[in-house]
Amino acid sequence: MDQRTAINLFRLLVLVGCSAPAFWLGWQWFYGDLGAVPGEAVVHFTGKTGLILLLLTITFSPAFRFTGWVGFMAARRQIGLWAFFWLVAHMLAWMGLDQYWDWPWIRREMVELPYIRYGVAALLLLVPLAITSFARVRQAMGWTAWHWLHRLIYVAAALGVTHLWILTRADYLLPTLFAAVLAALTLFRLIDAAIHRQ
Amino acid sequence: MTRYRYSPIPESQVTPRELFESRRRFLNTGLALGAAAIAPGLLWPRSSHAWQGPLEARIDAQLPSHDLAGGEAPTSLRDITTYNNFYELGTGKRDPEIYGHQLVTDPWSLTIDGEVDKAGTFALEDILKHQDLEERIYRLRCVEAWSKVVPWIGFPLANLLKRHEPTSRARYVVFESIHDPDNLRGQRRSVLDWPYREVLRIDEAVHPLTLLAVGLYGEILPNQSGAPIRLVVPWKYGFKSIKSIVRISLVEERPPSSWEERNPEEYGFYANVNPAVDHPRWSQARERRIGESGRRETLMFNGYADEVAHLYAGMDLQRHY
Repeated sequence: MDQRTAINLFRLLVLVGCSAPAFWLGWQWFYGDLGAVPGEAVVHFTGKTGLILLLLTITFSPAFRFTGWVGFMAARRQIGLWAFFWLVAHMLAWMGLDQYWDWPWIRREMVELPYIRYGVAALLLLVPLAITSFARVRQAMGWTAWHWLHRLIYVAAALGVTHLWILTRADYLLPTLFAAVLAALTLFRLIDAAIHRQ
Repeated sequence: MTRYRYSPIPESQVTPRELFESRRRFLNTGLALGAAAIAPGLLWPRSSHAWQGPLEARIDAQLPSHDLAGGEAPTSLRDITTYNNFYELGTGKRDPEIYGHQLVTDPWSLTIDGEVDKAGTFALEDILKHQDLEERIYRLRCVEAWSKVVPWIGFPLANLLKRHEPTSRARYVVFESIHDPDNLRGQRRSVLDWPYREVLRIDEAVHPLTLLAVGLYGEILPNQSGAPIRLVVPWKYGFKSIKSIVRISLVEERPPSSWEERNPEEYGFYANVNPAVDHPRWSQARERRIGESGRRETLMFNGYADEVAHLYAGMDLQRHY
């Protein structure tokens, strides 16, 4: 298999992997398999999927560093945009299926509840990243500015994990796992940066 | 947007109850004969179905029914039994239904001890034969801001306590759930400090609304709902209504309850439903009624203020939450 085919296959894999959960969710919804409170199930599923994809996005650069395979860099923007898509879906599901578009309450919860504040902050930080992901914008910005701006993904992921951590009631298995992955990725990033500075 | 729906089971495919039960009897007879033939002298577990049969018969008879949910429609049996918090069986809302079979309920005995004149360990069937059963329709409000309306079958806890003659030193009632980590997957992880424990003040425990439930919707309690016997305290958050009880102790000084021990800032000892006192991480002013869309306003003491507010007269409920 030549390099080009391998990269295209990998991009296709990311496309299928990131969109398949949406079909699964739609299927479950249609057949009433999401339990007694399907709206809540959709909110939880979209949030978890979005956060996992956000963490996966961050793994693509280290994966490239370790393997030297450019496929990771070629698919990085795609998976990042998928993460953004799932997190926007998460917020809309919360507003519509959990809060039933009750705007005074949506506003109140955003202002009063810390875990909602962290979630909203994470999503807001991701907006400029999604906008500047297009090639033309990136070229206009220049590599250095773009690179700096996109470090915000670490902050957004940390806010996202904090959001999950706060709303967890007793079982911290998943938030602990996410926090450990993010910590490892951040550490790698710092060490990598320190080595390259020398 | 597609509405949430169940795929309906046609009437023609539903096995009539009589037929189902006669098949079960037939199978049991066959098994019993087979076992008797191949293993004479094998000790047949005496206690198998010791309490279930008599209880089923009593529940099938007409029981007095009391609507204490202000005429609100009961939540569907399916919603009641597929959306539960029962961490012994897992922390997911559907885990209790999926892993309910891990809860071994027969035989079952209940220890009643501490500050009582008649302490001891009693088979569940012996406890139940002294109690008159009734149906009570109650609202149930979870601390997670969802609610249901449940037609319980049970008897007032006061009637049980009376039989065991509490002493004058009995100030609190401590309840303990089953501890069986070999079977209960949730107890193999220390999400809570097992076994689960709950505590009521004695005046709360003997309040006529406080129920020990053994059934719901005209059936024996399903395992995910806390079989075979559980507490129901309708004016408190659901976690106070401890499931699958194996011990009831009357004591002078109270230990912390499980959630209180886990996080005292968030789960107070009283845990009375109170829309004015928010959980530190979310609002308690509204609730989601399972099976409905939208939100309802949460009622003070879950709508039982007239019956129970006097228990807390003079107390600062912002502090004693």
